Amino acid sequence: MAKLDSHDVYMPAFVDDNWNYVVIDDAKAAGLDFAKTIHSPKNIVFPQREVMFTFEQEKGGAPVIAQTIPDPRPFVVFGVRSCDAKGLTLTDIVFSKEYEDPYYWARRNKGVFVGLSCNEPPDRTCFCVSTGGSPHGEDGLDIQMTELADSYYVKSFTDKGKRIVELGGSLFSAAAAKDKNELEKVHAASMTHQQRPINNLAGAPAKLKDMFTAPFWDEKSKACIQCGICTFLCPTCHCFDMNDEVSSSAPLKGERVRTWDTCQFPDFTMHSSGHNPRPDNASRLRQRVCHKFQYFFENHGVHQCTGCGRCVAKCPVGIDIVAAVNGANDYAE
Amino acid sequence: MLNNIYLPKMARIVRVKQETGGPRPIKSFRTEFVNGDGFDHLPGQCAMISVFGKGEAMISISSAPHLKDYKQFSIVKTGRVTTALHGMREGDIIGLRGPLGNCFPIDDWKGKNIIIIGGGCGLAPVWPILQTTHANKKDFGDLTLFYGGRTSGDILYRDEIEELRGEVNIQLSVDAEEPGWEEYVGFVPSNLLDKKPSPDNTIAITCGPPMMIKFVIKNLQQLGFADDRIYTTVENKMKCGIGKCGRCNIGKDYVCMKGPVYSWADLKALPQEY
Repeated sequence: MAKLDSHDVYMPAFVDDNWNYVVIDDAKAAGLDFAKTIHSPKNIVFPQREVMFTFEQEKGGAPVIAQTIPDPRPFVVFGVRSCDAKGLTLTDIVFSKEYEDPYYWARRNKGVFVGLSCNEPPDRTCFCVSTGGSPHGEDGLDIQMTELADSYYVKSFTDKGKRIVELGGSLFSAAAAKDKNELEKVHAASMTHQQRPINNLAGAPAKLKDMFTAPFWDEKSKACIQCGICTFLCPTCHCFDMNDEVSSSAPLKGERVRTWDTCQFPDFTMHSSGHNPRPDNASRLRQRVCHKFQYFFENHGVHQCTGCGRCVAKCPVGIDIVAAVNGANDYAE
Repeated sequence: MLNNIYLPKMARIVRVKQETGGPRPIKSFRTEFVNGDGFDHLPGQCAMISVFGKGEAMISISSAPHLKDYKQFSIVKTGRVTTALHGMREGDIIGLRGPLGNCFPIDDWKGKNIIIIGGGCGLAPVWPILQTTHANKKDFGDLTLFYGGRTSGDILYRDEIEELRGEVNIQLSVDAEEPGWEEYVGFVPSNLLDKKPSPDNTIAITCGPPMMIKFVIKNLQQLGFADDRIYTTVENKMKCGIGKCGRCNIGKDYVCMKGPVYSWADLKALPQEY
């Protein structure tokens, strides 16, 4: 791989028994023969923990705060799956709208996301097509690579993407008509692989709305152990907590820290009075499913699930969002 | 550089008033911005209060927008941040982020009678309505306040309420008989049925304990108030206050953005998850 001095390069690498995106300084462990990374590249733009500002206060004085907006080097993320790239477009919505989130965008704007199409579903939990996506979807990508028989077909969609291709120089050669033909064949073939189906995706928002109080949620959520892994591995989950961490009491010194949080934790919604609007597994599973397949759709016209399958694969008790949505769609009181 | 909505503006506590005692005491804090910072708000809007080292809590602003010199917050001592606040004094500095949330559509209520129905600390979020409508009395019809506390010691803003007598129809109540209490004895929703305010050309706004709100709305409906003439405020646990941290939603609505103010017509269309 050509060296990109101007950018940090993240690539999938097999580290500590998992494929994950790491900044490559030595390419030994990195590769593109991965199935699915354990985390999506969301982590790079929305890290698990970040300091929002520091504060310092002498006794009797006014607090002095200093914001800690990140200023990363430009970076390229190599080998992004279409489901995860689409996930970025959904977190983009959350961190924009009425208020821009400066921490998120400070990283997001510096990133170039280079996709790797899935010619075959990387594993049996995939369901991108069932959520309206595609194994070679372009949403959220600056560049898309598709593996052909003896080359990669590379498309760049954005100015950032085109610039990276220019930096690659002689690595690339113009695609011929036969390459385009092969690309179309590979992409068409990728759509024919069996994926887990969601019945009636279009009807899900209305159906979920109708069955808010159904005992269905109780049945589906009984096994949940409230570990939150479904949300922590999700490429679109964005919930967070904000807390003050104090390192010194006199003078007062500390940081306001943002950390990931999850709707699957009981105290996520608990008031200081003890009242909890979502007091049980049933209401919390319902929140996760309805957020992704009803509320987000009602607000933004798009479902907040890209079918990556991580929550299905990694749930320790086998709770399955595809089965939940299908079960809801088939549910009759 | 993008404007950083997460950074609090500094404000000095200039007055602390003990409003009520007991196990969940309420204090009112008046604050003034320092460093020339600040923001304007509308009635019903909230602010995130920072106590540095403890964190943030979302609190409704209980002073009317036209009172430019200060912002007031009436706060129950209940969690980590509010307990720390209760230990603070005049001169101490806190952080404020805001204004957050929507507001009571007071401009749409011009020419109408206004009935405010509060219980306990629930008077704080609706108090700016009374201050605003009273200050612009000629623009509105009759002003009425139904307000109750568990005991007379649980009544907020007692002096300010007494000052309004004569210009505002004041209907106070306590839950149980106590010596020297000459006004209504019983719950706020019952007082409402007892006095039977007319729904004609009238907006009713209620805030208080959830159970009180539930029965106030039921009784208002019984009195003939239409669902879109009844307003309330919703509270939920919040962290960011700007629709991103994900915990205050009721169905598709983040209360910090779409609320806290709802007409009953709008609120009843959302799932019962608050």
